[in-house]
Amino acid sequence: MVPAMKNLVHRNAVFNTILLLIMLGLVPGMVSCGRVDRSRSVTVWEQMDPKEQALFDIHVEQFRREHPEFAEFDIGRVHYRTEDLQTQFQTAALAFGGPNLVYGPADKIGPYSIMGLLMPVGELLPQAEIDRFRPETLPVLDGHVYGLPDHVGNHLTLVANMALVDSIPVDTDAWVPQLRRLTVDEDGDGRPDQYGLVFNLLEPFWLVPWLGGFGGWVMDDSSRPTLDTPAMVGALTFMSGLKESRVVPQECDYPLADTLFKEGRAAYIINGPWSWEGYREAGIDIRLASIPMVSATGLWPTPMTSAKCYSINRYLDPATRECTAALLEWLTGTEVQIDLAMGLGVQPGDKAAGLVEEIQNDPVQVASRVQIERGRLMPIVPEMRAVWDAMRPGYQSVMNGALSPEKAARDMQKMAVTMIERMRE
Amino acid sequence: MSGGRLAGKIWNHVWVHALVWLLVLFAVFPILQIVSISLRPGDQLYSTSLNIIPDGATLDAYRIMFTEKPFLLWMRNSLVVSLGTALIGVALASLGGFALSRSRFTGRGAALQGILMTQMFPATMLLLPLYLLMRKLHLVDTLGGVMVAYVATALPFCIWTMKGYYDTIPVALNEAALIDGCTPFQAFVRVTLPLSTPALVITALFSFMTGWSEFMVARVMLASKELMTLPLGLESLFTTYQTEWANYAAGSLLVCVPVVFLFLVLNRYLVSGLTLGSVKG
Amino acid sequence: MSTERAQNRLAFWFLLPSALVLLGVVAYPFFFNVYISLTNWNMFHFRNPEIIGLTHYIRIFSESDFYRIFGKTIAWTAINLVFHFTLGLGAALLLNRKLPGRNLYRALLILPWAMPQYISALTWRGMFNAEYGAVNILLAKVGIGAVPWFTSEFWAFMAPVITNIWLGFPFIMVIALGGLQSIPRELYEAARIDGAGPVRQFFSITLPMLKPVLMPALVLGTIWTFNNLNVIWLVTDQGLPADKTHILVTYVYKAAFVYYRYGYAAAFSVFIFLVLVVIVRGYDRVAREEAY
Repeated sequence: MVPAMKNLVHRNAVFNTILLLIMLGLVPGMVSCGRVDRSRSVTVWEQMDPKEQALFDIHVEQFRREHPEFAEFDIGRVHYRTEDLQTQFQTAALAFGGPNLVYGPADKIGPYSIMGLLMPVGELLPQAEIDRFRPETLPVLDGHVYGLPDHVGNHLTLVANMALVDSIPVDTDAWVPQLRRLTVDEDGDGRPDQYGLVFNLLEPFWLVPWLGGFGGWVMDDSSRPTLDTPAMVGALTFMSGLKESRVVPQECDYPLADTLFKEGRAAYIINGPWSWEGYREAGIDIRLASIPMVSATGLWPTPMTSAKCYSINRYLDPATRECTAALLEWLTGTEVQIDLAMGLGVQPGDKAAGLVEEIQNDPVQVASRVQIERGRLMPIVPEMRAVWDAMRPGYQSVMNGALSPEKAARDMQKMAVTMIERMRE
Repeated sequence: MSGGRLAGKIWNHVWVHALVWLLVLFAVFPILQIVSISLRPGDQLYSTSLNIIPDGATLDAYRIMFTEKPFLLWMRNSLVVSLGTALIGVALASLGGFALSRSRFTGRGAALQGILMTQMFPATMLLLPLYLLMRKLHLVDTLGGVMVAYVATALPFCIWTMKGYYDTIPVALNEAALIDGCTPFQAFVRVTLPLSTPALVITALFSFMTGWSEFMVARVMLASKELMTLPLGLESLFTTYQTEWANYAAGSLLVCVPVVFLFLVLNRYLVSGLTLGSVKG
Repeated sequence: MSTERAQNRLAFWFLLPSALVLLGVVAYPFFFNVYISLTNWNMFHFRNPEIIGLTHYIRIFSESDFYRIFGKTIAWTAINLVFHFTLGLGAALLLNRKLPGRNLYRALLILPWAMPQYISALTWRGMFNAEYGAVNILLAKVGIGAVPWFTSEFWAFMAPVITNIWLGFPFIMVIALGGLQSIPRELYEAARIDGAGPVRQFFSITLPMLKPVLMPALVLGTIWTFNNLNVIWLVTDQGLPADKTHILVTYVYKAAFVYYRYGYAAAFSVFIFLVLVVIVRGYDRVAREEAY
């Protein structure tokens, strides 16, 4: 062989030996199994916010202390993001696997139950347990209850930065002029340095409160979409009016709204309970209030409220039934619900918890409750997905100035109806 | 005359440096933004100021990643998976590519095309049946199962690259070795392989990266906390609307470090292994 | 003659492990999808789907917007590839010279590839914000006006293109760097003596010799870019503005995971697969003389 190449080969011999050693070292790592023994473990798959996660862990600790008979079971949670959770649960359940309990907003329950993945609560817990809850918070399909809520919330609320705002108006006739006053361009560069209001201009979730405020709703009692209504046109006109008077930024998505408010550059933000603590921690002096009444109609805006529920996987391991039932009862128990309500600013689903004194009197609870009472429960039927998807483009186009509210409403309705048909093929 | 040539050379140098700097700026600017996010208090993804070092900058996010989050565990898992994928990938591709480069057997063309076709199907729809299959093989929730999937993902590119590289190595060299008395396998190991180090580097890096940054397959296959790889670990910092942006940014930057390190190590092997002289040898 | 036999036998064993892995991991899922593409598998027929033949395939063409999205996908793929290769090859050529600090430059240029795609995409998204994004601020400083990135259909398409170019060029740079190593110096020497300038040298020596190494990247790059869901999804927040920025795969994703129309999504995927087969065959025709 050519001498020059002999050197290369020798160098490679050393290299190859090192490689071999590394490979051998990796083998134990490769076959490490974290395989969970399903008959000895009770898992909950969740999409909770960090605070909810922390509270969950505390509550599970309490459960273990109160129920030593289940000491041999490994109780834990796995965290996913909402969309992910859905995909993962379906995939796992398709293979007859998955967690014991799945936790999430009630509107996921519609699709799961239609696909046959959930066990009705009545099969695991006695009716008395189910009666403990306020009926309007229970997800019911085809006469069966498919989940138990540990709280009701998720509602958009008006959050004011009291350093910038003197008093919070009650209706839009007083509010909008205030917003204009609060939108200030100090350095005259044509771009406001402080906005009156910020909110997510992209997600129709923020459109819904105003839709209700103008007298409409997303669907009727038969789950048919009702998007092409004067109420929708009114709501869209109002919102794009806000944009035109430049009290909101040109392109505002969720992170931008959040940032502007945290930096003290916005007087008001419309956002939900998951965010309030973050604003306090950023040093903003916040006060909560109901989104102002629509003067034109005399109606309060209706943010969508949603119960977050634990649902039972139909295919859980039979050996874990008892422990799962006990855990479910615990996690939706009165004590836990009070804890969550106080800790998160939400409403309990349990009747008894709602009557407790602290819940009745805490100021955040009060403001929050008022808004929830003025809100409306999100429909949990699968058609809702089509409705969201139909609303999004129309909403964005109107806020861009690309479509008139009338045309957008018509388009939304058409799209919703089409998508629902296609889903049902 | 020489003055003109010198001026020409300096002009050349200036141009080259300018272009390189432009590219580097393009590449690095967004990274600097991510550094800002990691230093910014309050979990803000956006900021209205363009400062790289934000007001109130803090290294808290980095501290949290190491002390409060099992970052090192995630990294260990990712290292096992990625290095494993790289080693297996290099081994299989160096062999497979050689076979497809040197030999002429029936179905060779079909094999080449077939390997390519495995990449064409949108991955989103492959996940569900893959999960079902892995479940049957009891490979769900193991690092080994994930590795198998990654090797399959990385192989087509690696095989084609090795093949392409082997195609540029003159057959004469192999034949010289055979005449010297080597078996075909020995000829492969002693002659062809050392001359393909640049391609081996590419293959190794690519396979490593396939494992290192992949999320969807890991998400479907791994459920236990102890097995989370880095992408999964970082994902756990997300919730519906609130995200621990600072931690996420810090984690992402830390995730880059082993990759850059690996690249620097392998960069030495991106060296010319073949000169015309050796053939005339 | 026996050497050739021995070679062939060796080839078989060399290929076997790769073949096993690939067939195992990809073949089953592929045929699974072909099967369900012929059924009505969706949310309402979850456990017991029935065969309905080619209905889904016909629907692909009749559901509105198909041709526009198809065109967008082609445009997306083509533009990305052109810039990936120009920038990547350019960077490799620049950094193949003896430059002081070239290893540092190489390491810096590799960062877009090394960085997790998710946060890079989101960061770019922030940079494209019309009022607060770094891009518009820089453009303003240079004297060009602000671009309405997410409110115009055209610019909302360009934003993920730019992001993807940024994400993808380092990869081509690394491959080109590897390929450049296999070109013997003597060829350039000889050319220079013959009077060829740098441009001539590039087109007669560099490019042809790089072809075998760059071809896999080009072909596979086409396939990957065509099917790249993540970048568009993240940068345009699921299809801004108003669902107009879609390519074929994002459609599949929506059908499957938002609407639970698994049968339809599978059919669409098979369709995408067939399109890619045709495109790659096209490459084959063009590169006939060196592939085999």
